[in-house]
Amino acid sequence: MIAKIVCYALQGLEGVPVEVETDVSRGIPSYEMVGLPDAAVKESRERVRSAIKNSGFAFPMGKITINFAPADRKKEGASFDLAVAVSLLKAGEQLVGADTQGTVFLGELALDGAVRPVTGLLPVLISARAHGYTRFVVPAGNAKEAAFLRGAQIYPVSTLAETVRFLLGAEAITPLAPETFVPHMHAGQGADLKFVKGQPVARRALEVAVAGGHNLLLMGPPGTGKTMLARCIPTVMPDLTFAEALEITKIHSVAGTLGEEGIISERPFRTPHHTATTVAMCGGGNRVVHPGEISLAHGGVLFLDELPEYKRSTLEALRQPLEDGRITVSRAGGSVTYPARFMLCASMNPCPCGNYGSADKVCTCSPAEIRRYRRKISGPLLDRIDLQVEVDNVPYDALASDAEQESSERVRERVNMARAIQSVRFEGLPQRTNAEMGERELTAFCRLSGEGERILRDAFERMKLSARARSRILKVSRTIADLAASEEILPAHVYEAVSYRLGDSLE
Amino acid sequence: MTAYSAEERLLVLLAAAADLDERARSALSRACARGLARGELEKICAAVIQTDGNGVYKGDRADFSAAADAVLGRMERLNVFAVTLASAGYPEALRAIPDPPLALFCAGRRELLAARKFCIVGSRILPAWAEKTGRHIAAELAGRFAVVTGIAEGGDRAAIDGALPTGSLISVLPCGLDVDYPASHASLKREIAKKGLIVSEYPLGTRAQKFSFHARNRILAGLSEGVLVLAAGEWSGTLITANAALSYGRDVFALPHNAGAAQGAGCNSLIKQGAYLCTDAGDILQMYGMDRAQTSAPELTAEEEKLLAALRLRGEEHAAALAAAAGIPVWEAQAALAALELKGLVARAGGNKYTALRL
Repeated sequence: MIAKIVCYALQGLEGVPVEVETDVSRGIPSYEMVGLPDAAVKESRERVRSAIKNSGFAFPMGKITINFAPADRKKEGASFDLAVAVSLLKAGEQLVGADTQGTVFLGELALDGAVRPVTGLLPVLISARAHGYTRFVVPAGNAKEAAFLRGAQIYPVSTLAETVRFLLGAEAITPLAPETFVPHMHAGQGADLKFVKGQPVARRALEVAVAGGHNLLLMGPPGTGKTMLARCIPTVMPDLTFAEALEITKIHSVAGTLGEEGIISERPFRTPHHTATTVAMCGGGNRVVHPGEISLAHGGVLFLDELPEYKRSTLEALRQPLEDGRITVSRAGGSVTYPARFMLCASMNPCPCGNYGSADKVCTCSPAEIRRYRRKISGPLLDRIDLQVEVDNVPYDALASDAEQESSERVRERVNMARAIQSVRFEGLPQRTNAEMGERELTAFCRLSGEGERILRDAFERMKLSARARSRILKVSRTIADLAASEEILPAHVYEAVSYRLGDSLE
Repeated sequence: MTAYSAEERLLVLLAAAADLDERARSALSRACARGLARGELEKICAAVIQTDGNGVYKGDRADFSAAADAVLGRMERLNVFAVTLASAGYPEALRAIPDPPLALFCAGRRELLAARKFCIVGSRILPAWAEKTGRHIAAELAGRFAVVTGIAEGGDRAAIDGALPTGSLISVLPCGLDVDYPASHASLKREIAKKGLIVSEYPLGTRAQKFSFHARNRILAGLSEGVLVLAAGEWSGTLITANAALSYGRDVFALPHNAGAAQGAGCNSLIKQGAYLCTDAGDILQMYGMDRAQTSAPELTAEEEKLLAALRLRGEEHAAALAAAAGIPVWEAQAALAALELKGLVARAGGNKYTALRL
């Protein structure tokens, strides 16, 4: 008898339907798997055999052939186990009368018949739902994550035996109640701008950066609170919408970094160490292409502390995703595109000893050393960092004072207001923030007055800016005008945007 | 092809003799300065250039001629020309110092040697305001003087940045013109050779030595009518140039620095000793009976006016403190300060601090 069971394979963030066809015919007992299964899939033979036996069922006798269709696509991972077991039992006529039509089975089996959670469940469910499937059997361990899918009956199971009883109608399982999404209100691991002492200039730059989705470079002596400032960024970002949260959760689900909650409810804040390789940063891997740090930071912040310490090649690899908001990783097994629209926040010392420009400490670096240090960050990368700002050495009095600074909450109100203006502006367009504007949007939304144009020209010539730096300044001016709720970009807005181009004037 | 007289050829040859020791060189140049006949020069040549390196005396004129051809041919290929003590174009001011170089190897615009010259120097690490001020002064002087400086970072760089756009710039190197020192300035050197002039007393291929900076500094002072010191520490090498200028009877100018600033201690002590205190190009031009070109004061908004006044009052101040003084939010102050920076009235001093520039 032939049994067909549907399960799903993951390709990047997309689920691809795979049909598990099992044929048990008379003949010399054998057990074959065809249809390009990889090692982990092939190993499911042994897991499934033990799981069936240990759940109290009979393993079918005869010549068994299992085919994964479509046969020309490679199948990876262990999430086919449950589907293989169910189709074997069905082909072995132990599931007579069970309705498996239109049901998607996902799960890994343990030898004792327990169903183990799998990675990448949510993207698979979303794809399958889009393909018209509405009935799912998933591991109970994935229930939290799965509960965020709307318009489907999702049955969590914890053993193979339970699955079989459920399919035969001997046991009822209540489908998962749809979980309502609550964005996390106090993100950022306890960070809050109210704890940041002083730093009026950097605070403002941070606000502008978040309001327009711009990238930010914090430059300052060691120990002045660059990291603390950066940690505050997620706390002033607008709350995640459900759609955004789902998109982010998909990535984290594939990477297997989803926490207890089952959904990512706060904006990611990723801090890869400076020894991170290009693959760790951008994604890659031998067979399965894993999302890299830049994709895990999607929708949130990628914080690169001590920017010049990163490998040059790793930093250069960031350039294209910074422009496109996604990354395509190509491997022999195929190419995968992951979203990577993140806000880059970088920090660096002004020179190797850290004291350049400091009022009370003497910089011991030679000009050549300083240049060598700064040259580690290429011009094209620096060009893509819209706001570059110096962090102050806060005097002791300010550190010791109890006076609370403006809280993240208050700043976020202004950010939300500026974002609201932007969402009206980009109605019907793919962009969401000013930073994402292309040339066409720049000409449409960033008209300068005669004087504004003159200022920009002046800055362009004096600071020897690139064309990219020019358009970045324009975008920042737009955001500053939005923060001031000004329809028009005024000269003061352009001037302020120019003042955040530190790197150019330092050369 | 530059034509050289027989005396010039001999002096180039002498100057290019790499094994000529410093004492012989300076004795020779002193003698040359008094005016030597060609016969005497040949005798000296014969005495100091011992061919084959094993001390064999060869007083043969033909040998000198062939050797000079080789040296000059190499110079010609690299577009280098020489001006010797026997040349009419040798800068008169330099001829007047006690130990003028036998020959100056040059690349670039020859006419700059005949122009009026003024030297701007400063230590390699100097405060942002001093660098910006130096750049402004160099730019303003460049119309009237050829600005003379070295090719290092800091003070030299400020002078170069200010004067190079007009091409009125002479850079004196402490090494052969074809030696890239500092290596990072190789392309800058080529640019100066194209737009201005690079000069060295050392023959092609000579590497920079510790003493050659000292020797180079006497040329900086010797070429110029006056020297401006942008910044110098208590024991800075820049002071060698200033002291040389003093001993040659040239004018010495210095930017005044904060009483406590180590980077400016040398400048302040120069002023104490009687150097001219200089805050802008007008101080220098006035000394030489020149008028400043009238530049219209840039138009300022009320806010910019207020910030600038507050900054002038304090010299150097943090953007936030200036904003508080002017009674406006920090970001508005940032914008206004950026405007002032573009108008050339303030400079960033690091750590979100600003300093006021010329009045």
